[in-house]
Amino acid sequence: MDVTIFMQQMVNGFSLGSMYALIAIGYTMVYGVLRLINFAHGDIMMVGGFLGYFGIAILELPFGAAVILAIVGSALLGMASDRIAYRPLRSAPKISLLITAIGVSFFLENAFNVFFGGVPRAFPVPAYLEVVVDFMGLTMPVSAILVPIITACLLAMILWVLYKTKYGMAIRALAFDVGTVNLMGIDANRIITLVFGMGSALAAVGGIFWAVNYPSVEPMMGVLVGLKAFAAAVVGGIGSVGGAVLGGLIIGFTEVVVIAFLPELGGYKDAFAFIFLILILLFKPTGILGIDFEKSRF
Amino acid sequence: MGITVSKNQWMNVAMVAFAMCFIVFSSNYFDEYSVRILNNIAIFIILAVSYNLINGVTGQFSLEPNGFVAIGAYVTALLLVSPEAKQYQYAIVDPYPFVMTLHANFVVALLLSGIFAALLALALAAPVFRVRGDYLAIVTLGFGFIIKILAINNPEITNGSLGLNDIPEFSNLYWTGGIAIIAVIVILNIVNSKFGRAMKAVRDDEDAATAMGVNTFKAKTLAFCTSAFFEGVGGGLLAALLTSISPDLFDFFFTFQLLIIIVLGGLGSTTGAIIGTVLVIGGSEWMRFLDEPMHLFGYTTTAMPGMRMVVFSLILIFIMLFAREGIMGKRELKDFFTSRKKGEK
Amino acid sequence: MRKLVVLATSAAVLASISFAKEINVGVVMPMSGPLAAYGQVCYEGVEFANSLQPKLKNGDTVKLVLVDNKGDKVETATATTRLISSDKVVGILGALTSTNTAQVIAVADKKQIPVIAAVATNDKLTEQKQFANRVCFTDSFQGAVVANYATKDLKLKTAVVIADQAQVYSLGLAKAFTDAFKKAGGTIVKEIKVSSGDKDFKAVVSQIKTANPDMIFLPLYHPEASMITRQAKQVGLAKPMFSGDGVANQTFIDLGGDSVEGYMFTDFFDYSAPPTQKSKDFIAAYEAKTGKKELNSFTALGADTYNVMINAMNNCANPSDSVCINNEIKKTTAFEGVSGVINIDKNGNATRSAVIKVITNGKAVYKSTVNP
Repeated sequence: MDVTIFMQQMVNGFSLGSMYALIAIGYTMVYGVLRLINFAHGDIMMVGGFLGYFGIAILELPFGAAVILAIVGSALLGMASDRIAYRPLRSAPKISLLITAIGVSFFLENAFNVFFGGVPRAFPVPAYLEVVVDFMGLTMPVSAILVPIITACLLAMILWVLYKTKYGMAIRALAFDVGTVNLMGIDANRIITLVFGMGSALAAVGGIFWAVNYPSVEPMMGVLVGLKAFAAAVVGGIGSVGGAVLGGLIIGFTEVVVIAFLPELGGYKDAFAFIFLILILLFKPTGILGIDFEKSRF
Repeated sequence: MGITVSKNQWMNVAMVAFAMCFIVFSSNYFDEYSVRILNNIAIFIILAVSYNLINGVTGQFSLEPNGFVAIGAYVTALLLVSPEAKQYQYAIVDPYPFVMTLHANFVVALLLSGIFAALLALALAAPVFRVRGDYLAIVTLGFGFIIKILAINNPEITNGSLGLNDIPEFSNLYWTGGIAIIAVIVILNIVNSKFGRAMKAVRDDEDAATAMGVNTFKAKTLAFCTSAFFEGVGGGLLAALLTSISPDLFDFFFTFQLLIIIVLGGLGSTTGAIIGTVLVIGGSEWMRFLDEPMHLFGYTTTAMPGMRMVVFSLILIFIMLFAREGIMGKRELKDFFTSRKKGEK
Repeated sequence: MRKLVVLATSAAVLASISFAKEINVGVVMPMSGPLAAYGQVCYEGVEFANSLQPKLKNGDTVKLVLVDNKGDKVETATATTRLISSDKVVGILGALTSTNTAQVIAVADKKQIPVIAAVATNDKLTEQKQFANRVCFTDSFQGAVVANYATKDLKLKTAVVIADQAQVYSLGLAKAFTDAFKKAGGTIVKEIKVSSGDKDFKAVVSQIKTANPDMIFLPLYHPEASMITRQAKQVGLAKPMFSGDGVANQTFIDLGGDSVEGYMFTDFFDYSAPPTQKSKDFIAAYEAKTGKKELNSFTALGADTYNVMINAMNNCANPSDSVCINNEIKKTTAFEGVSGVINIDKNGNATRSAVIKVITNGKAVYKSTVNP
């Protein structure tokens, strides 16, 4: 294994991991405030990809405008799903909430399948994103380089919101104790809506990245990615934004590196995310950067 | 008190007798489609009721039934498929020699299916119960996923993704319905025993249960293994009903379906698990008309295949919104007939 | 006299009832769930063939009864039982993948209802089964076609095989190719396994680059295959690539963009050179209806399952006699279908030609026909 190939794999893993990270942030934020594994999150990402596709292919918008359409549309969808399917169940058992999340997930997948068809559609990628860059023997398209950069920018933005703004303080307070937050005169529901909006917007960006890197969109595209992103959030320590990014990168690297160095295990690739997860949880039952939600929060 | 108990017992006997009559009647008079749906319902009752034991009664959010069902299905299939049928089935690689020699009758195969699944549960209990809550969910989801991947990647035993075919069709309503009745009785007895009380104590407050001297690990492991045993048996019945199994059957959608069933029915309620099964398994067959062209007020709509699943997901959301603890909550059927005892919940 | 009139009218009514019967033919297809994309494309062909030829030659109408199986085996078994017991179908089309088709056959074979599979190519599918048939070729035939073409016509000596271990189709085809390629004197330098649903193959393509084979054989479906070609192009891997019929559709070219230029694959038929008159008529009608200037092989094969079924029903004195229909299906010889000339042997397997195509300027161009 020479150095170039090794470096190439590292870059690949970083790119893939960033995409998992973007989606994992949404999981972890919603979990932080609601203790809900939002199974519909992967499908919100799918909707983001589709909206981008509709924007470019049907409305003939420029790429940037289509991305904004996807972000706004997905954020609205995320907030609507909270309003309709999760908010009425705030005081219900958590598992009931989980079932409505599965319901929302099934609904999005099947509605898109019925109304737009299950056949994958080629995503129109702008030519400037497909230019292949050659840097010291490492080759990759511009889009694969942009993914980690944009992820880093978005992460910085999220952290800024969480730690430097009034809303961020409310979100963190909410993750700490819902009852007290309400007593402090903050409308918890508004904050939760905000969290869904932010998480879904990130998922839309993830969906667009996915659609650009593997240029197709189809109704089931969010299922496996969502599951792996969720595993990433848990590996990193669910509830922690930094943990989600770390988890995403770990899972992305593991998948790429294992195939590169142990090709005969390629068949077990999808299992690696989970084997890794199980190992980590056995040694650190709350994930790497995790918080023990059973006892204290944040 | 004594009167209530005997009244309960009388009711239980009556219900078992009714279920048996129903099985005999329907296997003789119903058409094959209805019998097949009833078979599916009976098998899913076994799976749902046993899944409810770990998930509802003990409150351990396990997402692994697909793995145990897969183990059961493969054990039964390998034991039932005749050597001649195995000879021509293995397409990708030759099977290990021991695979060819495996053979047993149906009862032994089902028992071994259950035992293998329970042993696996026993082996997994120690690592799995190191974590709690949603972490437990993701660990068990992971194990279930890994079992499916193992089935795909070991074609010497499982014939890989093609799976095993020509399994003799032993399952019929007497087997599936009979075992469903046994499973319900056994599990209700566990729930009402001192083990059951320990399990509920773990669900309601694990730390308090530990403080009270309940061996929480033992209670959880017992629930996990019992549930795995019946899931294994159910998997065996499923294999002998379908006569053909492959790894794609046992992905996490299978678990989600069971989870929907028990939560919809009322997590922790055995009656609820049964009602949930009938609604989900029977209902999704009944809703097939939604895929077909519809005749409404003289108009004919075009067929929209897949519509069934859209409506199914909407109904699921609405039921959960209006019956937030599921249809039965934690109640059992008998609670509707006997005076409500506060402490029993 | 009045009595006579009444008698005559009632006889006429009776006759018209018994003459213009409606006969049900069942279709089991994944219309929702992870396989919905393929199921929808295949069913389109069945449905369109039915709309072109809705009647048997004796005037009976054929009604399609579609049941969705979500790609799930339990649902497939239930759906098949429903078709046979409630809808009283005389034959069943479909079920797409080999595992689900095996499930349909497991139920239908016991009830003596013939099944015609459209695209289930696994060799083992029809083994030891009386009522299983198909209109596609088998994996071993297809694998041998590619291996022989690569070694004899293109003089390639070494190959890398990338198989999708979650797909029976892929594993069967990979094995058939490997056997035939070795037999023809070639060497397999590396076998790589992937899983359907994977999107990232950067690690895979760098490995192939290191192995440096003469050619790459990818018995995959189009989503994975197109990802591999794109990522191969990104690392500058330019070796001849071959696939089976899993990539035989326009979507593959759309997804792959210019990275699939020069890509070769086997197919059942060629849209630009329709093999039969029926094919020409079908394409013309299909274009008129949908406006699409292409015809997916899955659609063409879906149409042929229907056409072969109708042909067999027409050859039976009683078109509701399932056993007779099955016998007639197995007697299908030189049948001019939409996808080509089809012969079905007594085991239910189709003997038919394969077409090799190469992608040139964003179009799949006919290269050669290989006869069995």
